[in-house]
Amino acid sequence: MIDALHPNGAAPFSVEAFSCQKAGNARTEYEDAWAIRGSDSPTRCRVAVADGATESSFSALWAALLVESFVRGRVHGPDFFGRLGAIRRLWRRKIRGRPLPWYAAEKARRGAYAAFVGASLNAVNRGWRAVAIGDCCLLHVTGNRELAKAFPLSHSEEFGSSPFLVGSMTKSDDDPLPHVRVSEGVLEPDDVLFFASDALSAWLLRRAEKGEPAWEAIGPEGIRTREDFEALVAQARDEGTRNDDMTLVRLMRRADREKGAS
Amino acid sequence: MYSAEISRKNPGCFIFLLDQSASMEDPFGGSSERRKADELATIINKLIHNLSIRCAKGDSIYDYFHVAVIGYGQDTVVKSAFDGPLTGKDLIPISELANNPLRIEDRVKKQDDGNGGLVEQSVKFPLWFEAKHAGGTPMSSAFKMGAEMVQRWVAEHPKGFPPIVINITDGEATDGDPVPEAKALCSLGSDDGATLVFNIHLSSAAGNPIELPASDEGLPDKFAKQLFEMSSSLTPFMIGRAKELGMPAGDGARGFVFNAQPVQVIQFLDIGTRPANLR
Repeated sequence: MIDALHPNGAAPFSVEAFSCQKAGNARTEYEDAWAIRGSDSPTRCRVAVADGATESSFSALWAALLVESFVRGRVHGPDFFGRLGAIRRLWRRKIRGRPLPWYAAEKARRGAYAAFVGASLNAVNRGWRAVAIGDCCLLHVTGNRELAKAFPLSHSEEFGSSPFLVGSMTKSDDDPLPHVRVSEGVLEPDDVLFFASDALSAWLLRRAEKGEPAWEAIGPEGIRTREDFEALVAQARDEGTRNDDMTLVRLMRRADREKGAS
Repeated sequence: MYSAEISRKNPGCFIFLLDQSASMEDPFGGSSERRKADELATIINKLIHNLSIRCAKGDSIYDYFHVAVIGYGQDTVVKSAFDGPLTGKDLIPISELANNPLRIEDRVKKQDDGNGGLVEQSVKFPLWFEAKHAGGTPMSSAFKMGAEMVQRWVAEHPKGFPPIVINITDGEATDGDPVPEAKALCSLGSDDGATLVFNIHLSSAAGNPIELPASDEGLPDKFAKQLFEMSSSLTPFMIGRAKELGMPAGDGARGFVFNAQPVQVIQFLDIGTRPANLR
């Protein structure tokens, strides 16, 4: 599945999103989520990607609530994870009252979990600030297609099957704040910011570590259509990447605006 | 090896072997109140409970696993241990098992209130098995029956994750040496690896629980050593997962526990991202 935004000519950023569910699953079983807000704003753009954990219930809902809440809010530091109360209440409200069999009720009682990365971009100075928990990644790639920063994980071997994730239930021994990571950078002309869920991030980093083409493959020259993205996902799976939902958001400075501004 | 994806399309397979012989009426772990049969019923009910919850998704349950439970001892025969609506069935999808417990009890569970305190919450607690203890201990025959099931399963799922057989017993077989039967079972498997055999030893002897040892040193008696010998080595993924779950698994760890409730073994197989903070 491809989802693309078509910003108007005045927009400072061009943002596109691509997504694909786990092989063998229905599209409705896709548990990642992404959200973009303000790509056409002259001042501020916000992007978030979350990956609902397979081993929790109603995690697609939780991932969607997290990304929507982030892009609609103004907080861009760890405070986002200190103010989860309203999102958690909304998650509980949406599943409350459902007639669930015993196993589903017990699973829901344990809460949903998701990995999250979100960034706020300043359209004036092109600075970005990002916050993350878990293994969804922001990948800052320079104009000459070199990796400037991978955040919060930077090497493929750091990805495992049991990361610490953001939970939908308030538990005294499950405080996300100690696990929050923050980073920042500046987007130079021709730089690209990618936001990717874990399996895709790990595959891209592994390719880059081996000196194989990675960033060209997901740049505008590599992926233009839904079919392009699906072909890339198929290649990743052929190369042994875990069968998982895959999501990619690509953000670039708009060239026409750069020229207009100069 | 041991890397095949477990999914609804490529399900995993658990076969439980339950010792329901007369000796299971003896006290457990030096206790004067609790019998080994009670401990076994608690363990198998918890294992099925945890496996069902693990496979629950939204308001339904995904058939990531098929499950058989073989009882040995009652009337010295080996047969499916399911009662109630599942009587006589062998390998069934986890959804069928989860939806057909013998009964469901209402229990009160203490839950974190998010502010450092606990609140009491009513939860449904299903039970599939009662404590049983009668007859001899035809453990070797149980492994033979398990091997027949494994053979059928791997013929139908040749590329799938190999079956896992979990034997819960006090170790005193009465139909000959079970070691060759267990080894024969381990020689069967899929393209992804040999069948894995784990043993949970419930003893009348008091003593500290032992989990996932790498050698038989320190095991208390000949039955424990025999069951250790019958147990497969854990895969590297399983050792990693066991460590994450706080179990003392080192290199060479085997799927053997002594007088412990290793309900975490259900987490040893990968069915997707598992939050480290989901307890």
